[in-house]
Amino acid sequence: MQIDWLAIAPEIVVAVTILGVLAADLVLPRPLKYWTATLAVVGLTLAVVPLILMAASSVETRSLFEGSYVVDDFALVLKGLFLIAGYLVVLMSVSYIESDRYYQGEYYLLLLSSVLGSLVIASARDLIVLFIGVELTTGPLFMLAGWRKGDIRSNEASLKFFILGVLSTAILLWGMAMLYGVSGEVRFDQIRSALADPSPAAQPLVGLAILFVLVGFAFKVSAVPFHFWAPDTYEGAPTPVTAYLSVSSKAAGFVALFVTVYVALRDRVDIWGPGLWALAALSMTIGNLAALRQSNIVRLLAYSSIAQAGFMLVPFAAASVAGEQLAEGLAATVVYLVIYALMNLGAFAVVIQGARRTGTGDIDGWAGLGRIDPRLGVLAAVFFFSLAGIPPLAGWFAKFVMFRAAIAAGSAAATSLAVIAAINAVIALYYYARVAKVVWFDEAPAGAEPATEPPAASLALTLGIAAVATVVVGVFPAVFAVFGEATRVLLASG
Amino acid sequence: MVEDGELGALGADSYTRRGHPDAQVRMSAYFQDYVTVGVFIALGAVLVAVMLGIAAVLRPNNPTRTKQLTYECGVDPVGAGWSQTYVRYYVFGLLFVVFDVEAVFVFPWAVAAERLGLFGVVAITIFMLTLIEGLAYAIKKGVLRWE
Repeated sequence: MQIDWLAIAPEIVVAVTILGVLAADLVLPRPLKYWTATLAVVGLTLAVVPLILMAASSVETRSLFEGSYVVDDFALVLKGLFLIAGYLVVLMSVSYIESDRYYQGEYYLLLLSSVLGSLVIASARDLIVLFIGVELTTGPLFMLAGWRKGDIRSNEASLKFFILGVLSTAILLWGMAMLYGVSGEVRFDQIRSALADPSPAAQPLVGLAILFVLVGFAFKVSAVPFHFWAPDTYEGAPTPVTAYLSVSSKAAGFVALFVTVYVALRDRVDIWGPGLWALAALSMTIGNLAALRQSNIVRLLAYSSIAQAGFMLVPFAAASVAGEQLAEGLAATVVYLVIYALMNLGAFAVVIQGARRTGTGDIDGWAGLGRIDPRLGVLAAVFFFSLAGIPPLAGWFAKFVMFRAAIAAGSAAATSLAVIAAINAVIALYYYARVAKVVWFDEAPAGAEPATEPPAASLALTLGIAAVATVVVGVFPAVFAVFGEATRVLLASG
Repeated sequence: MVEDGELGALGADSYTRRGHPDAQVRMSAYFQDYVTVGVFIALGAVLVAVMLGIAAVLRPNNPTRTKQLTYECGVDPVGAGWSQTYVRYYVFGLLFVVFDVEAVFVFPWAVAAERLGLFGVVAITIFMLTLIEGLAYAIKKGVLRWE
């Protein structure tokens, strides 16, 4: 059997790391348990090496297992994103988990399993492989959301996430089963050629299958109207897990959705295009309006991430309702996804440190944080303004790419989606700017003293990486344009 | 919407299929499979109804208290129908399922072991070691201790 080992090297490295972390957790005595985190970080770093080798090599598309598993530049960019996001979340978790009295080995084990699942999703070009990837990504998160066993909110988060997660899986699986039923194939390219043949009797079934697949994935990315689990789960789960949920797990759901509709169902864009349009418009509008009224910072970010999911969908949805420039729309969406991941992880790192400084998650409780801890105040302003899309921070480039792609699509429906996005971008500015206003312009509570102790080294590193990335991408967006171009070129041959 | 050469082959394939009379036939055959399922469900219901109906007509009807007890292997049932089970059974059950499923993978490998050669041996070894690590984890965490 001929296998391109380099192509699956990142997955193998992560899988070996998972086994290593589990073994280390078993043999290490309590005071040395932090080595499990170190192992996880080392493993995620090593897994990037084969990605770089593949990006540098002249082979553009590596197809394994009879085309069920494909590593092209699209997959490479997203695997890089998943590994970096996993890396930042592990760093964020170190100090957070150590302050708990729970054992930590399982934490990194579960987190890495989820990362492995998202790596699989990026390459899956087959219903079965994709489903395994999706389940491996979300399964461990049910447990991570309930990590603080003694905290009733954490239990609630886990339970809600679990019940709705299982429901969405059932719907997704049903859709996939119907897709298999009408096409008789599981591989995406074969499904596509089977569905190209328009037999009138199969039409209702095809429509229903696509609808179910769309709804299943909409749950995973918490797009409105399938978002009800998100705010409660985000609030109750440990903050690093919430960061992971809102970035990696959401990105993985998006990638799974895009790969399915783009590769397998591209000819039926007339069915899923309007669906994506509605999801994008509803997510932006309802996410933003709900975010306006939040007083808790994590809930604010929860609704903000629902709204951002809507923004992310805009370019691809606009292209698909117009039925043109699908590849460009998808490339713009991927660029938005990558930038969103970096700045949102930064925002969550700020939330962890801010909650530690002020002892509260209420936005009003953060009054005067800029005086107490100026560096943290600056970082809070950077990430929240970036999320709002203010230049010269990375978020503006994401929004720019989004609007350019939506307007380039050209049809009336696409333009109207761009208009809805523009209105929502203005609404979003209000609640993002409010955080910066509270931090910098409100009076600090009496008796608050400037902070002296520095944040934990690992958390400081997370903040540093995310801040540098946010500023550099905002000032030199050409860095990302290269990625975007690679995605576009390779998707065109997908 | 086909943007490249590679898809040309697939496109051509689907083109020859398009409008083919087979497409209609295939689809109606697909729905006919479900008709078969429906017929079987209906047959099952009829079968049960007929058997119970005939029995009800023919047998003597003489209920006693003992006869109406829940049948539990001939032993008189103890306690109510709703009883709690030790949660520990669940963990044991879970471990059992894991190794049961392992057997599902190992037996086919054993049958084809010679044909798969060294690659198969390495693959199944990795698979078994992964599961054994899980078992070691369970033992270390005291899951298998019953006290």
